[in-house]
Parts: sequence; C-alpha cells; structure tokens
Amino acid sequence: MRNALKLLFCAAIWAPLAPASAQNAAVPSILPGAASTMDQVAVPASAAPASGVFRKITWDDLMPKDWDPLKEFKGLNMSALSDSDPRANAMLKRLREVWDNAPTNAAMEGATVRIPGYLVPLEESKAGMTEFLLVPYFGACIHSPPPPSNQIIHVLPKAPAKGLRSMDTVWISGTLRTVRADTSMGVSSYRMDAVLVVPYSLKER
Amino acid sequence: MRSLLSLAMRSAWNRRGTLSLVVASIALATLLLLSLERMRTDMRESFSQAVSGTDLIVGARTGPVQLMLYTVFRIGGATSNISMSSVQALQGHRAVAWVVPVSLGDSHRGFPVLGTTPAYFQHFRYGDRQPLALAQGQPFRGDLDGLFETVLGAEVAQRLGYRLGQRITLSHGAGGTPGLEHGDKPFTVAGILARTGTPVDRTVHVSLQGIQAIHLDWAAGSPMPGLVIPAEQARKFDLEPKEVTAALVGLKNRAAVFAVQRHVAALADEPLIAVLPGVALDELWGVIGVGERALLAMSGLVAVVSLAGLVAVVLAGLSERRRELAVLRAVGAGPRHVMLLLAAEGALVTLAGAVLGCVLTFAFIAAAGPLMQTRFGVTLQLSAPTQSQWILLSAVVLAGMLASLVPALRAYRLSLADGLSPRA
Repeated sequence: MRNALKLLFCAAIWAPLAPASAQNAAVPSILPGAASTMDQVAVPASAAPASGVFRKITWDDLMPKDWDPLKEFKGLNMSALSDSDPRANAMLKRLREVWDNAPTNAAMEGATVRIPGYLVPLEESKAGMTEFLLVPYFGACIHSPPPPSNQIIHVLPKAPAKGLRSMDTVWISGTLRTVRADTSMGVSSYRMDAVLVVPYSLKER
Repeated sequence: MRSLLSLAMRSAWNRRGTLSLVVASIALATLLLLSLERMRTDMRESFSQAVSGTDLIVGARTGPVQLMLYTVFRIGGATSNISMSSVQALQGHRAVAWVVPVSLGDSHRGFPVLGTTPAYFQHFRYGDRQPLALAQGQPFRGDLDGLFETVLGAEVAQRLGYRLGQRITLSHGAGGTPGLEHGDKPFTVAGILARTGTPVDRTVHVSLQGIQAIHLDWAAGSPMPGLVIPAEQARKFDLEPKEVTAALVGLKNRAAVFAVQRHVAALADEPLIAVLPGVALDELWGVIGVGERALLAMSGLVAVVSLAGLVAVVLAGLSERRRELAVLRAVGAGPRHVMLLLAAEGALVTLAGAVLGCVLTFAFIAAAGPLMQTRFGVTLQLSAPTQSQWILLSAVVLAGMLASLVPALRAYRLSLADGLSPRA
C-alpha cells in the first residue's frame, strides 16, 4: 500500500499544477517552473526558429494547459478512504489509466526544442544507442509509479549516441512530434528525431 | 643517432639471454592487458547484440538481471514458471503487438533447448533489428504434424555435424553429459538457422507442444514406471502448454513500455515481473564493472612489475658494462650519448615486448575465440586494436621508456675514470 500512498501523494502535487500554469498567462506566478512556462508560451510554435536553433522547454510544456488528471476524482474525499478500502484500489487503478492515456499538447507538434531528462535505453547497436526514452525524473518507471504518458519522449537519435547508460542525464534537441492517440496504437505520446544528444551540464551552450 | 640506435640493438643482442626474459615478461603483461580489454568490449557488444526489438521480457518474480540472463543468454536458471493464461492475457493488452512464449530447461548434448511458437522466427530480432534467417530448411510447423520437428542454431549444427532430416533426442535437464534421455520421442531436424553470433546459435528450438509431449509420461521429475506413451500416441493427448518460463513482448508504441511494465507488475492473478532488456543489461554492467576495474588494475600492476624487472636487469647489467661504457666514452662518446644508448636499449626491449604481446593476444584470441563462442556465446573479434587497446599499449611503451631512463641517468653519472680503473 506504500505505492498507493505515493501515487496519491504525487497526484495531489500534480493536481494544482496544471490549472496553475493555465492562469499564468495573465497573473505572474511565484512558482519557478510555471514562470518559465509563461516565458515560452509567448513564442508561438508556428514561428519556430530555423533548424539549428532549439527553444528550451520544460516538462510542464508537454502537458496540455487544460489537462487536469484529477478532474473525474473531484468529488472524492481521499482522506476518508483507508488504504484497504476496495474503492481506493479501484480509484488508483482508474487514476493509472488516466495517466497512461494522458493527452499530448497539440501546440508542441513540430516544435524544434531542446529539453533535458533521464535516459532509459531501448535499442543499442554496435555504433551506440539508436533508440531510447527520455523521462523527467530519476528512477522514473523503474521504481514506481511511472510518469504519465505525456511525460515520456520516445527519442530516435539521428546518429547513434555512444557511451550512454540507463539513467544518464542528457540534453536532446530536435523536432517534437505527437503520436496520435488511437485505440489500436495504445497511448498517445511524444516522439523526437533528435539531431543532438549531449550529456547534461548546467552550463548553457 | 642512427649509429647509436644500431649500437643499442647490437648491444642488446649481445645480452639476448637475460633481455629475452624481460621481453617475455613485458609481452605477457601486454597480453594480459590487451586480451582483458578485448574480452571486456566484445562481451559487452555480444551481449547488447543478443536481443533487439524486444520491449519487455516477462517472467516470474526474480531479479531483472537474472530473468534476462536466463531467457536471452540461457545463463543461470528460472525461479519459477508463469502460467499460459497470464501470457494470453498479456496478448490481449491493447498496447501489445506480439508475445512470444519461451520454455527452457531441457538440453541436447549440453546445448539448451528452447520451446517456443513459430512466431519466434517471425518476431525475434538480434543485432541491429536483424530477423532470424534460415540457412537451410524451414521453421517447425506449429501444428501436430510439426510436433517432433526442431530448428537448430548454426553452432549446434556445425559442432555436432547435423543435417536436415536427421533425428536427435533431447535430454531432461541442462546437463552436458547424457542424463535422462527423452529417447522414445526423437525430433527431426526441420531447419538450420544462419549464424547470428548470439546465443541463438547454441540453441535447439522446438515447439511448446513438443516440450509438452516429451514429458507426457513423466511424473514427479522422472519417467513414470510402467507408463510409456509412444510418440505416435502423444498427439492424442492435450498438448497445450499450461505454463512457460517467460515471454518476450513487443509493443505497438515503444513509449507505452512503462504502462505495460506497470500493468504486468500489478496483475492480480500471478506475481510477475516485466524487464526492459536494455535497462537490465546496464544493471549487469554496473555489477560487472567493479570486477572489471579490479582486473584492469591487477593487469596494470603486472605491467608495472615487468617494467620494474626491466629496470633491475639493465641496472644490474650496468656494473658488468662499466668497461664497455668507459671505452665508448674514451673513443669520444659524451655522457649524453651513453645515456641515450641505455634509454634506447630499454625502449627497444619494451617495444619488442609490446609487439610480441600484440602477436600473443592475436594468437590467444584466435585460439580461445571458438571456445568462448561455444561455451558462452560471446564472439571475440580478431580485428585491429580498439581505441582503448591503443591507449593501454602506448601506456606500456611510454612507461617502459620512462623506466629505462633510470639506468640511463645512472650511466650518465658514471665518470670515465670510474669505468677505466675499476676497483675490483
């Protein structure tokens, strides 16, 4: 039941975040993450810079502004449920489904961006890594719970990336694509043909 | 300079007895360093080439590394089987594109036997998403006609000299020597796979139903006394497998891998684990890396010891060569020349040792390669040195040159008079 508590806790943290960033367009926020979101919204995705220039984004930008993962759980009083309550289990299961089917942000389609994250290897050839997933926090998915589907980017580097291991931190740069939600295709998600994969450093390049 | 070098060479040749020992010890140290590095890189490469295009490996709860090692590399053992109903449930998940169940445990003359479905030949990928190709014949048929058909890996066929149509018997368990044989139900070789350089080469593939059939008249881990079900009769029984060792899973969209992994872990019917092969491999390297570094440090120490031997031999030779060096000085060589002479000698010996070490490494890999391939499925490459091998090699040569400066400096300080009028 520890996991369940963790999941609830994460959900509770996430809940105020999504609407908050939506309001930010008008009201300056004290949330540092949200503040950077606001800066970037000012640049429309259609006016994407020429190739080679990548706009830095945060993981918040990948969530649709109006997405509220807890929308259908609004009426539920979580604190009244005990851990062994079957309703709590059912709700957690439903919550998991909502997260696994989290919508992508349509504004991100075709945007040339760079974003840092943790790497989970998928495919490795002799020349290096040819396919991996990028996730926003360390230990994501290997421990529980995994992040919502709109917080995972499926990365296909243009040239195989050498010398990388799972959970290394990297900057990826490239054009973001949204993969359509389709019942036969499973969940909707992000995909990037990364032009550049470099180890993470705090310094700006 | 040129004459100095040839002088150094002749001088070294004159004392070839002792110096050849030094060369041998440097060569062995080089062999150790280079072959260790070669095995390290090739093992990683072999392992990462062994599975491709598989998103998850699903099995009974165990360590991720253990599950992957057993299902993909046939190393170690499984903690428990998983029920076929779980595998079928997984097939029904909307993000799952294909599921290939695998069943391990039997062997044929030391080679592991893998029970699977014909879908294995369709979906399994290795290296850079290369599909399995048949060198001869065809995959076993998934129906009752193909019940006792088998597809051999390239290594199995080559080593045991098997051809299409040949009949082989499987043994119970994973022993190398013949133990309990399933002699009453021989399998016919239907196909032989092309070489892949992965553990597939060492595997005997049969259908899941075939595995079921050869264990029909078994009970409690041994043939049931008095009960014999002939091969022809076996087809009349229910041969649908109830459980398998593990399942390889491919997804429609690879980004959904965590959702499916979570789904598998949370299945209420059976405790299961789903492993991302790449992540499990990295976990394995994390563990092995510690041992690798220790081994590399030890080989480095061995190199240092053999270079110390070089210094000792040349230094010991100095007192014998006092007169020789003094004569050189007397005919006009400066102390600088004497120093250069000894440094060149040391460098030549180290270089000879390093070159001999390279040759030995090639010979070693050529000799041990086939054994590594059959025993562990690791392909050692007989190719030009890798970047890290070059670094190690130049480190040895450089260290040898620096070490030979010690006797050289000592010779530099010896005076002419000292050499011409020895006290002894």
